[in-house]
Amino acid sequence: MVMMEVSPSEIQDQEPRLHSNSISGVIGLAGKVKGVLAIHMPESIAFKITGSFLGIDVDSMNEDVEDAIGEIANMLGGNLKTILSDSGKDIDLSLPTTISGKEYDFQSLKNAEREVIIFDTDGGGFIIEIQLEA
Amino acid sequence: MGKNVLLVDDSSTMRKIIGRSLRQAGIAFDNIFEAADGVEALEVLENESVDIVLSDINMPNMDGISFLREKSGRDHIKDIPVLMISTETGEDIIGEAKSLGAVGAIKKPFTPDKVNEVLGPLL
Repeated sequence: MVMMEVSPSEIQDQEPRLHSNSISGVIGLAGKVKGVLAIHMPESIAFKITGSFLGIDVDSMNEDVEDAIGEIANMLGGNLKTILSDSGKDIDLSLPTTISGKEYDFQSLKNAEREVIIFDTDGGGFIIEIQLEA
Repeated sequence: MGKNVLLVDDSSTMRKIIGRSLRQAGIAFDNIFEAADGVEALEVLENESVDIVLSDINMPNMDGISFLREKSGRDHIKDIPVLMISTETGEDIIGEAKSLGAVGAIKKPFTPDKVNEVLGPLL
């Protein structure tokens, strides 16, 4: 659906960073495993993905972009739910939310293990972050 | 006479993506109705002629499972087929959906070819 080449570049256990001119899609996890899953990306990549989804040119932040990135977070959450369920850890997913702006940070949950995976695309990188309560 | 479809998803972008995938798959409908949750979907089914419903599961107000349960209790709309399109395609939730009348499921993300493969035989 995204219609672009995506490859993982590195896994980090880094401190939260500031996101500039970006958008984040966030899903809450509840049940036997609690935490959050988020995808953070620059606006330029979000516009490209939304354009690919809808078959139109997108050059500004709007409801379609927020909706598309929220839906990607939802799909990632769905896959994580399936993986956890297969290992006997049933979880529920929240509805997706999005954050966007010129500069913001995404704080870690208290007592959570945090993994950050950076992906590369032709248009730049994006980040998938998982925080699970220890 | 052509057929009508109802797309049920709280994401308006996802409804557009599904509509676009239907066109790319070469599946033509006379009318594409949209609803943002189960409550709106039931309202459309009560007031329009709909041949098939493509529905998400995880939605606010009334989710896809509750929508199926409510629909199955209304004799005049209970036989309209519903195909689930969702990120949640675990055996337990799809099994529950099928026990309430769902005719199948497509996992997000999907391709137009996948939509054609699953939806085509139902039309």
